[in-house]
Amino acid sequence: MNTIISTRGLTKTYGRVHALDGVDLEVQAGQVHGFLGPNGAGKSTTIRILLGLARRTGGEASVFGLEPWRDAVQIHRRVAYVPGDVSVWPNLSGGETIDLLARLRGARTGDASYRAERERLMTAFQFDPRKKGRAYSKGNRQKVALIAALAVPAELYILDEPTSGLDPLMEVAFRDEVQRLRRTGATVLLSSHILSEVELLCDRVSIIRAGRIVESGTLAELRHLTRTEVSFEASSADVLAGIAAAHDGTIEEGRARFTVDSDDLPAVLPVLARQAVTGLRIEPPSLEELFLRHYGDDLGPSTGSGTRSDSGPTRRERRHQEARS
Amino acid sequence: MIVALLRRRLRRDWLQLTLWILATVLMAYAGYAGVTQSYATHQDRVEVLSAVMANPVIMMFRGLPSGASEGQFLSFEILPWLTLLAALMSTFLAVRHTRGDEEAGRTELLAATPAGRALPTVATIIHGVAANVILGILVALALIGSSLPSAGSWLTGAVSAATGIAFFGVGLVAAQLMRTSRGANSLTVWILVAAFLVNGMGNVAGIPSDDLTRIASSGLVWASPFGWAAQARPYDTDDPWPVVLALVVGLVLAAGSVALQWMRDIGEGFIPARPGRIFARPALSGPHAMVWRLTNGAIIGWAVGGALTGILATRLSGLAGQIAGQNPAVEQILDKIGKAGDLQETVVTVFFTMMGILAACAAVQVLARARQEEAHGTAEIVLAQPVGRVRWLRDYLLVATFAIAIIVAAGMLAAFAGLAGDEDAPALAKVVTVVGLGQGLAACVFTVATALVFVLLPRGTIAIAWALVMLATVFGLFGPLFGLPQWTTRFSPFAVTPVVMNGIADLRGTWWLVLIVAVGAAASLVLMRRRQLHPAG
Repeated sequence: MNTIISTRGLTKTYGRVHALDGVDLEVQAGQVHGFLGPNGAGKSTTIRILLGLARRTGGEASVFGLEPWRDAVQIHRRVAYVPGDVSVWPNLSGGETIDLLARLRGARTGDASYRAERERLMTAFQFDPRKKGRAYSKGNRQKVALIAALAVPAELYILDEPTSGLDPLMEVAFRDEVQRLRRTGATVLLSSHILSEVELLCDRVSIIRAGRIVESGTLAELRHLTRTEVSFEASSADVLAGIAAAHDGTIEEGRARFTVDSDDLPAVLPVLARQAVTGLRIEPPSLEELFLRHYGDDLGPSTGSGTRSDSGPTRRERRHQEARS
Repeated sequence: MIVALLRRRLRRDWLQLTLWILATVLMAYAGYAGVTQSYATHQDRVEVLSAVMANPVIMMFRGLPSGASEGQFLSFEILPWLTLLAALMSTFLAVRHTRGDEEAGRTELLAATPAGRALPTVATIIHGVAANVILGILVALALIGSSLPSAGSWLTGAVSAATGIAFFGVGLVAAQLMRTSRGANSLTVWILVAAFLVNGMGNVAGIPSDDLTRIASSGLVWASPFGWAAQARPYDTDDPWPVVLALVVGLVLAAGSVALQWMRDIGEGFIPARPGRIFARPALSGPHAMVWRLTNGAIIGWAVGGALTGILATRLSGLAGQIAGQNPAVEQILDKIGKAGDLQETVVTVFFTMMGILAACAAVQVLARARQEEAHGTAEIVLAQPVGRVRWLRDYLLVATFAIAIIVAAGMLAAFAGLAGDEDAPALAKVVTVVGLGQGLAACVFTVATALVFVLLPRGTIAIAWALVMLATVFGLFGPLFGLPQWTTRFSPFAVTPVVMNGIADLRGTWWLVLIVAVGAAASLVLMRRRQLHPAG
């Protein structure tokens, strides 16, 4: 397959702060690639380096096989970008801003095809183009950037937390758009801290924490890492004994609680049915939990050893050992 | 609670206010030194004042003559400038802490606490009044320290503070009316300039006394706070009532702004927002068009100023020509500034130096916009499109140069129009052309200087660029009046441009300026290749 984005050992320091500490990221053509991480993990910094807006301190980065700092303009001709924190010009209307950005990308805004696409997106996102920039809320500024990015076709879409500030209805509209991009064969790098969004949209996910990629793989591979939390009403610990796949079983405030690897969940359900449990609640882990659970043990300074490809399985094995002991 | 609000204001402002106040106090101090050095004897001062009576042009940029004592003459020389500095400090302060905060969303944050909607404004009023009081006291002490009579010195301090407070009220009300701090600042600056000119015209239209050292102003001056300040006549009649008038007006306006605030929602203004365009105009199609769109309003404002300066230059040089030879004292003043031969040539040169300063201000404003775009985050959106860093900065340089060209053209065309019917027209047209183009070149120096600061020290762009213009103005235009040594004026680009002396053009530092502009522009663009985005603050 064709590699669109590739970084190796990418580092970036601001004074004494290590924003990136060796990022290895690979995105292949046609992928919708989730770029997950908590706030401040280095997602936006990585994206800025990929766009040539910031200069890397060390390591390698390439987009379309080009060097992002030197060949920024060539790269930008093929890229659509939605920044994480969208600012718009206070005295330009939303419609003007969208047209301006489209023209900067070389689109002819008089063309019927552009007009139609713009109209379609404005309807989909319920966007009023007449208001001045200063009157837009955060969500509406986000819509300006999204419509501008989507209205002109690109080979690569870099979307930095595109749904922050959007209401749930608009999130659905956004997902439809990403599915459309996938069908056209475009490549998407979708940065987010919302796991459910990434699960719905992405073929492949890279997880960044404290300036380095800690997990990368397909969703199926990563599901191995996620554990679902199951809880139901119970008073004694005996009920947990019959469930082989359960980890971390506890009884608190009249509820039995345990976690189970996502793959093992189907096997657990018949057991619960036989016991006729009441008040059953099954919760997929939030990203926050995933981080606390999987990486809470090494929150200290990173040692610099260990690479992306082998850190996943070893951590998973360690976790299994800990849970069984 | 109000203490916390005041602390926050002080912490944000202390450096800025210290500089404003220090500049005003220094002006008072240096003004005294200038007067005693340049016009040491009573006879010198009487001569200058009688010259002024004959040529009212000078009164547009000087104060109201009240007599020829040292103190009276000092008032004539610098009182308008002292009050102008206090007024500018106050209007910017008023808008910064009201509409500026509101626009940034900080007011909403505060209004949701028990501080409510009114308390932050009340804190701003206390803050602004206190700043003016301190300024007034320090100005008075500086003058007393120069061994001037204490009654007049205290009054000079008081009128400076009171004029500041009056314009502080204007700023507060403008901040309530307009929806953006940019709009509120433009409104107050236009009011301020108009008030300054109204005062000047009121004095020009006044009646000179028999000994030609004093003018009884026309009633027009009472329409302008600068007029009130002048009518206090420090070191002369020492009338305190104009001070009280200015204070009352300032405080009534401040109270009015609090009342207006009660009547409106946070974030809204009284001048309704118009809906924008659904589609962008075809012209808005590149980074340069974007820069032009963001700055054209301001550039047109500067061009109007340039045109006014141009027409004054030639209309008034004609006037000056009529009295040339009659009075050597006028020539002496103008020679000090222009160092040129013929009196008419000198008047044109002085006015076109002012036009050069206007053009430099416009250029700095355009380049400063690049930094504002970067800090605001909109530069990131543009630079993520197929727009190179170098091209992005180059477009700001181009628009700034274009702005200078517009202002110089406006000034020169207005000057040519003003020459119609003048018998010396061809000779003066040559002066206008040479000096006008030369000042345009001087303004370009500030374009490239701002660009270099932007590339190398992004966070200091706005402060350093305006400080450079300010220093160049002081050295180039006021330096000779304040008795600064000759060599210091050479640091000001405005003072080394070509001039015409007795019909002969002298290129002076033209090639140096060309070299500086070329090297500076090239260096900033080359350095921009290595520069990454420096987003916030």
